[in-house]
Amino acid sequence: MDVNLKKDRMAKNERWVALLNRRPLDRVPVCGFTGGFSLVHTGLSIADFYNEPRKSYESQMRVAEKFGFQEIPRIAYAGFGGWEFGGEIKWPSGAFAQAPMILKYRVQKADDISGLSMPDIKTAGIIPNIMQICRLVDESGSPYIWGLICGPFTIAGNICGMNTLARWLIRNPEAAHRLMTLATEFMIDLAQYYADSFGAPRVILDIGDPSTSNQVISPKQFENFVLPYATKLADRVLGTGIKHIFLHACGEQNANLPSWSNVPLGDPGIVSVGHEVDLDIASKYFPGHVIMGNIEPALIQTGTPDRIYEAARVCIIKGRKHLGGFILSPGCELPPLAPEPNVWAIMQAVSDYGWYE
Amino acid sequence: MPSVERSQELIKSLFESVINMDEDAARVISNAILNEGVDAYSAITRGLTAAMEKVGVLYANHEYFVPELLLCSDALYASLEILKPHVKIDTSAFRKKIILGTVEGDIHDIGKNLVKIMFEAAGWEVYDLGNDVRISRFVEEQKRVKADLVGLSALMSTSMLAIPKIIELLRAEDKGVMVMAGGAPLNRDIAAKYGANGYAANAGEAVQEAFRLLEAKSK
Repeated sequence: MDVNLKKDRMAKNERWVALLNRRPLDRVPVCGFTGGFSLVHTGLSIADFYNEPRKSYESQMRVAEKFGFQEIPRIAYAGFGGWEFGGEIKWPSGAFAQAPMILKYRVQKADDISGLSMPDIKTAGIIPNIMQICRLVDESGSPYIWGLICGPFTIAGNICGMNTLARWLIRNPEAAHRLMTLATEFMIDLAQYYADSFGAPRVILDIGDPSTSNQVISPKQFENFVLPYATKLADRVLGTGIKHIFLHACGEQNANLPSWSNVPLGDPGIVSVGHEVDLDIASKYFPGHVIMGNIEPALIQTGTPDRIYEAARVCIIKGRKHLGGFILSPGCELPPLAPEPNVWAIMQAVSDYGWYE
Repeated sequence: MPSVERSQELIKSLFESVINMDEDAARVISNAILNEGVDAYSAITRGLTAAMEKVGVLYANHEYFVPELLLCSDALYASLEILKPHVKIDTSAFRKKIILGTVEGDIHDIGKNLVKIMFEAAGWEVYDLGNDVRISRFVEEQKRVKADLVGLSALMSTSMLAIPKIIELLRAEDKGVMVMAGGAPLNRDIAAKYGANGYAANAGEAVQEAFRLLEAKSK
């Protein structure tokens, strides 16, 4: 596929400001959802995304500029909370690893919960690296900082292991609730740390909660164990003055959408869904928020540029109808080893179908 | 020997204890089965295997989710621990074998473990290599075990790239080796593109797919 893109009329930062203030845009913004892709693409290792903040920042900036992505450099991964609460992790290494892996969970049995202490918000686990990237973003003059926290359910699963947490939902709900409470308090503290460090209005707070998908738990379990804590967290986050929550709820979330739509996400929030959720459906549930999605990552890895172009085109046609605003992106992290022509195919689709003017 | 009615009653209770996630009841009933002289093998196949087949359907139909499935498996294993030592017939000659593992670079093993449960419940001999399994380990194990199937699981778009490499190495040793693949980023098309013979979208469908593959191979 030949790549022949129209020239952007807005810079990345201008586009962010316009999008979050509901002003007109030149074209559909694209979030590459790049994690390791940026590092691999600039000749570094995937592990550097997580543990070399300056290299990570520079790679993310270079890749964003090259492809025209909206990326605000950040560190994010689904295993967050495991290390911070005292578990052991392994950095990604070898040809096939994508993210840090939790080798040992801090909580093995319910009695261990009482021995847990709240992590030091400034020094625990990967947080210093996350904050270093945020500071580099801050120094660059970016209008927004991208701060990672995670959903309490995903954090709780990373503290005790999802096999254990899943059993507790039925066998020992009290233990599950204790862990969820602790995870929620930790995330509130971390949100406050971002707000204090960079000024609340500049923070886009990233709440990833992939473990809540219906591939794992039922919609009813979601209502009982996810919704109350997600709501409390969001309320408290917005109470700090943070205006924009980025909710990444990937996986099969269709039956959870009615519940998610009751969680306050700011003005506007950004709702990122996986390919399992139709963007028309997401639009219905989140009319006032920006929706983001949702090309299937595996397709970007394994498909042809023509197929990816078509998948992106379908997303753009659906997404640009959404009145709350739309960001085109993969449904989850861009595969770190995605072929470059497949990524360009996304941008070509935006050039051909994503212009507002 | 108990009456036919009593045997059926106990086996039905065993079946229900698994469906109802009742590990304690599964133990009590399993002991009653032994004490009253019900054949242990029959109790396993008609009680436990049948129950987990039903659990698989409930899971595939989104009536049960991971928490329920894990607790059903706890009841299953509690019962198997009691009944297995009393199985009188040697099933090893006709039991099917599967090697399972989450591929290198990936530690997500909930899905793989659920698949393992379903195969064990169906009477297969499972050789579970665990997670983050290096590529060559699958080949070594297949040489040793000569399994009917090799099952590969991956949850990430990076780790799934190990699957075609494993299949290539397995086929270099044995062209006829049968491979199934699964995990969130995969679908039937990708599994086929990577050279897998079969694919299952979830644990509930995996055993059926395996039997379908073996039947097709035998024709």
